[in-house]
Amino acid sequence: MANIVQVLVDAIALGSLYALVALAIGLVFGVMRLVNFAQADYITIGAYALVVPTASVTPPLLLGALPAAVMIGGVLLVVVVLALLTERVAFRPLRNSNPSTLLISSFAVSYFLQNLVMLIHTGRPKSVGIGQSLANAVEIGGVRVPGVQLLTMVVTAGLLVALVLFLKRTPLGVQMRAAAENFQMARLLGMPANRVIALAFAISGLLSGAVSLLLTIQTGTLDLRMGLMPVVYGFFATVIGGMGSLPGAALGGFLVGVASVLLQTYLPADLRPFRDAGVFTLVILILLVRPQGLIVTSAAKERV
Amino acid sequence: MKSNAMPSLASIGRFWLPVLALVVPLVLIVVVTGQFGGLSLQRTVVEMLISIVIVVGLYVFVGNSGIISFGHATFMAIAAYGSAWQTCCEMLKPITMSGLPHFLRDQSIPLLPSAIVSVLLAGAAAFLTGLVIMRLTGLAASIATLAVLFILNVVYSNWDSVTMGSASIVGLPTYVTAWLALGCAVLAIVVAYLYQISAFGLAIRATREDEVAAAASGISLYWSRLIAFTLSGFLVGLGGVLQAHYLGTVSINNFFLGFTFLALAMLIVGGMGSLAGAVVGVVVITAMVDIFRRLEGGISIGGQQWSLPAGTQELIIAAFMLLILVFRKDGIMAGREIALPQQPQREKGLING
Amino acid sequence: MSRPSKRSGSKERLEARGVAVAFGGIRALSGVDLEVRRGEILGLIGPNGAGKTTMVNVLSGFQRPTSGSIRLDGIDVSRLTARKIAQAGIGRSFQAARLFRTMTVEQNLSVAAIGSGQSRRDARERALDILDWMGLAAKADHRCDSLSYGDERRVGIARALALQPSFALLDEPASGMNDAECEALMEVIAELPARFGCGVLLIEHNMKVIMGVCQRIHVLDGGQSLAEGSPQDIRMNPAVRRAYLGEKAADSTLAI
Ligand SMILES: Nc1ncnc2c1ncn2[C@@H]1O[C@H](COP(=O)(O)OP(=O)(O)O)[C@@H](O)[C@H]1O
Ligand SMILES: [Mg+2]
Repeated sequence: MANIVQVLVDAIALGSLYALVALAIGLVFGVMRLVNFAQADYITIGAYALVVPTASVTPPLLLGALPAAVMIGGVLLVVVVLALLTERVAFRPLRNSNPSTLLISSFAVSYFLQNLVMLIHTGRPKSVGIGQSLANAVEIGGVRVPGVQLLTMVVTAGLLVALVLFLKRTPLGVQMRAAAENFQMARLLGMPANRVIALAFAISGLLSGAVSLLLTIQTGTLDLRMGLMPVVYGFFATVIGGMGSLPGAALGGFLVGVASVLLQTYLPADLRPFRDAGVFTLVILILLVRPQGLIVTSAAKERV
Repeated sequence: MKSNAMPSLASIGRFWLPVLALVVPLVLIVVVTGQFGGLSLQRTVVEMLISIVIVVGLYVFVGNSGIISFGHATFMAIAAYGSAWQTCCEMLKPITMSGLPHFLRDQSIPLLPSAIVSVLLAGAAAFLTGLVIMRLTGLAASIATLAVLFILNVVYSNWDSVTMGSASIVGLPTYVTAWLALGCAVLAIVVAYLYQISAFGLAIRATREDEVAAAASGISLYWSRLIAFTLSGFLVGLGGVLQAHYLGTVSINNFFLGFTFLALAMLIVGGMGSLAGAVVGVVVITAMVDIFRRLEGGISIGGQQWSLPAGTQELIIAAFMLLILVFRKDGIMAGREIALPQQPQREKGLING
Repeated sequence: MSRPSKRSGSKERLEARGVAVAFGGIRALSGVDLEVRRGEILGLIGPNGAGKTTMVNVLSGFQRPTSGSIRLDGIDVSRLTARKIAQAGIGRSFQAARLFRTMTVEQNLSVAAIGSGQSRRDARERALDILDWMGLAAKADHRCDSLSYGDERRVGIARALALQPSFALLDEPASGMNDAECEALMEVIAELPARFGCGVLLIEHNMKVIMGVCQRIHVLDGGQSLAEGSPQDIRMNPAVRRAYLGEKAADSTLAI
């Protein structure tokens, strides 16, 4: 029994993490039809900002050395600035391009950033110890929940709620939702593109920064590709959720996260390494049944 | 000019011009570097020719359909591993790849049949994948191809008894020469050209320009894309076999995002809208990579040893690709083939892609 | 490719029966009956937003009706995809030409001919024939992104014809053309039934034009059929004049 609860906790923790990433992707997609590969590098670079840029595999801490609140603020700031910078430099000039061009340009931005990090930090994984006190498990109702997981759940739940409130209650949030639901229409109605798009990037940076911290605390290591898997999961989540649908993105994130944990738990041991392949196959199968995703928005349909 | 009589030499020339304009310079490059080039330049040329096979293969789908594919490295890998299983290291195979079926594990298969089988394998894999994901349109299809790439990577990286996991398989016979690579590049170019001017090619280009109008013209998005995807799978498979038997090693890490990026960069920089774009892109990016690799390796200027930090090359390629996207978004060739300018009394030739 | 082969005289028609389309709350069409016969030109008129384009979308398979059905030569084609409907012989043009921009004019037409099952060679021949006939032969090898606006629109129509349709649905083919261009185009359209043996559904705003070229006219307003009849009938119909010309003009005669 406790075992099932344990699995459930795992599934929710991972699902909500992926939901967060998927929302970051979905927000930007909503306002400019960009599926942003560089999201992976926002996460990676946020994490690397914790340490001093050196070639060492056990680097001294930079932001990571600061008090928790300042460290968190610092990482978030770095990632938000990075997201805005990429928007300004790379994506704004391409704003009126078709989605395929945008996709490929974000692939280039991502490749650039990844190699920049490699140039500065080398490609070897680094260990970094922050938030070690969170490693202790907390016992809740007979289930031992690792502190990190508890933190993940609390943080993602908090961010999800904050995001929903923002999208529903503030004028800018409403505009952003309107844009996601019907891009063409929002443009025609004079959505203040620069502001809304910049804001979407800023928020996606904020969410990515949070993911940076959570991942680093979870694994204690920095890796060039640490942002890749979450973002790829996030891509698949937004697609099966229905491109352009924010609730869809969150739902998709939960689904892939839960599927991943379930496969990890219930696959026979020698098949476990193939877990991701299983999840991705599942993604393709879902798309076969629902090519437009689970929640179809008008954005997905072209008006003839 | 609707006569079916003997086409004139001029019209044949006009027909093949877009191909000749690409092939002749390649032949010249091979001849000249073969005569006068150093070993490292010759290596670069062979790598370039193999890249042409791959990028032209990629172009057959991406260029004609307008759908970005991140999944083509998958079919290369399938062909490369397929060929490795058939031809590699007979003595070691039973130990290092114990999971292979008997007919592969305990013997080697002659080179030509094994190459053909491997290419067929890649094409079949592309066909089967396409059956599923060509139902999707636009971005969803692109992301599904990404899923395919990841699925293959996860499977081949962990299927230790057959693929040696993430380790390299070494000891493949290295039979690829500049002339063989050239022959394959020419083959790929000719196939891509004939395809794009065929009825199928026209149909898929129409879907690229306007899916709705294509459907209203009776074109099946699904079938036309599936055909392109499959053909393109065959061609990149050929590229995979060539690469495997040029390097003599196969490693799953070489068929992942880094490689995918480079191949797409070549296609985008040259311009994914035309065959000429695909080839020009390969030449330009290969040249850039080569130059910066040399600079990273260090050169001496006036007795001073001087070098760029390792990794500069990747940054520059990525930045260059972004600049192209921003300032010349249809690439160097801007979607055009190399053809004679339109003449007023033009014979209504079959030219144009 | 597979065209319904049996065509007894009474069945040679494209019919919409009780077609309704709702977009969320908007009722673009409600219970419209409409029929185009082979060999005739049916005019479809109505104020902006009346549902004309929606009707064409329904007839060509791009919009599934909320209720009602489409019959081609007596056979229900409501559930076919747009591509299948095109292959069954319903060609259409678009309000915005929607050409394949980087392809040549000839290739644009050839695509439709290929879509109807022809080989590349035959497709080219058919394309050149049509272009010749429409006076566009000189533009055959021009890329469509280099065409003038008027030519763009004409190529859009030519492409619908290259499908060799038994019914051609033309959505405001003359919009944005000047009077002379418009007149020339109407001459072409008037000849379509004789030359291609097809029926034509013509959406057009210019009353003078439509009165001149159509045998029958169907009037839509607010998604409902307002009237149907000969140009004469329609001209005299008070309801039409109210809807079309606004209340003020209702009792003045239509200037034609
Ligand atoms: N895809 C769509 N989504 C929502 N509303 C639509 C759509 N297509 C048409 N409409 C609405 O349906 C009504 C009829 O439109 P349309 O058929 O284009 O009119 P017409 O061609 O006669 O000007 C209009 O109110 C229009 O706004
Ligand atoms: Mg209309």
